[in-house]
Amino acid sequence: MDPLEVYKVEAPGEEFGARKYREIILDILQDLGLVRSIGRLYVYVDIEKPYFAVYGMLRGSLPPLRVGDVADVVKTQEGYQVKVNEEEHLADMLKVLWEKYGRDRVEQPDRDLLTVSSDVSPADLIVTDVDAEFRRDLTDALIRIAPEGFRNRRNEMTEDSFLFIASEETITPELIEEVREKIRGMENA
Amino acid sequence: MLEPVMFTGGVYKHDLVIELVEDLGGYLLQKNVTQSEVILLLLVPAEDLKILEDLTKELRGELTRAPLAGTEVAVVTPTLAIHHLPHTACDIAEYLRRNGSKTNMIGLARGVGREIAQINEYETALINEHDVAVFLFGNFAKCIIKKEELYKGINIPVVVTGGPEIPKGEMPYAFEYVSSVGRIAHRSKKANEIGNLDRIVAAVGRALDKMRADIEKDPLTTSPPRVMDVVREQVPDIERSYSPLPIALNLTGCRIKLPYDEYHEAIGDVRFDEGVTLKEIAKILPSRMKNYTLVRILPESETGMVF
Repeated sequence: MDPLEVYKVEAPGEEFGARKYREIILDILQDLGLVRSIGRLYVYVDIEKPYFAVYGMLRGSLPPLRVGDVADVVKTQEGYQVKVNEEEHLADMLKVLWEKYGRDRVEQPDRDLLTVSSDVSPADLIVTDVDAEFRRDLTDALIRIAPEGFRNRRNEMTEDSFLFIASEETITPELIEEVREKIRGMENA
Repeated sequence: MLEPVMFTGGVYKHDLVIELVEDLGGYLLQKNVTQSEVILLLLVPAEDLKILEDLTKELRGELTRAPLAGTEVAVVTPTLAIHHLPHTACDIAEYLRRNGSKTNMIGLARGVGREIAQINEYETALINEHDVAVFLFGNFAKCIIKKEELYKGINIPVVVTGGPEIPKGEMPYAFEYVSSVGRIAHRSKKANEIGNLDRIVAAVGRALDKMRADIEKDPLTTSPPRVMDVVREQVPDIERSYSPLPIALNLTGCRIKLPYDEYHEAIGDVRFDEGVTLKEIAKILPSRMKNYTLVRILPESETGMVF
């Protein structure tokens, strides 16, 4: 069963290729842990021209991760104490705290404990922008998915969707319009 | 008739196997020691195989036929990018190795795309030094047919793999086409995927048989393992080569992993028991692979003798 709501792959004249690319795309998205963030996926391949197009709808964007989300922040006499719950974010968090308060005001008495000597709470500082990271991973996945020779690429990302076109030839406005037309056709089918 | 076999067993007493094979008039092609286990690639006279089987049983080892032993196969991918590696290309190369062949992986510089795919003179010459080449292509039939340009100029048999079924007539330059392989983004582990690897090995085997039959029409002056043996004996520096396989065998000669400029005279002067030197019965050439030395044994029609 597909973990995606809608998943269509079309490659006129290359039924085997379409079937196989279905597997490849799913394999790569699963490898990179991106499947859950994508709702619908439409893939259209025209091997005569040739071009390779992927259009996807994203499942709502994730808010950025703040210090308060991954750690408990407690007010103390000297300032604030930060107890880190998710250690994978520790390195990013330290970097952010150093930047905000300066190295001499941030200390790490224990592996998962940080102290900040300041009156300003660090709870609202952004540790990582999960959404930006996801978009970076997605672009990487799309480059991996597209056939290797298709070196001319165009990637349009909006709030809730993306359109990726890869081709051997120059990508012209006419080609982009054609791709949009095909994808619209697949959506309405 | 020498039978190619692979011995797998413990390191303890494995030298008995090597001694026995040498006494029987066979050859040790390759020895791989991995911690406490040893893998030996051997050529053994077919009629004496029983004796080796008995010894293997005694040592609790395992003896399997390695039909591709003593041959060199090139696994060629359009490039060395993530699209082809590690799955498919490494799976196929590893599977060929398990069947005894010396497998080299070659990634072309500009082999990608349909219209833009190219191969240059150096790459062609390097692939031609092997016995068989396996070209790995993708999932679109039109691209696979178009990419014929890449292997048109190659003189050795070429086995092409790809996804869809394509009639043989569409690919006149390929020795054989193995379908339902194509581009895969996961490791081959299902029964049908392993079956595909077996089909590739079988196709490579048939290509080698054809090469052997062609050579048989005008036999080589001497056999490549024999050349390997005398070179090992008379050019002691070969022991200091850092390659895992200092002498790689081909069907028509061997590649000696010593620098050509320094060693080609020493290798040419190697003398056989029959009194002839290697340079009288073979061409000593610089290999396209690094700065190695390539030996190509001349056929009977050119030297007038066989031993």
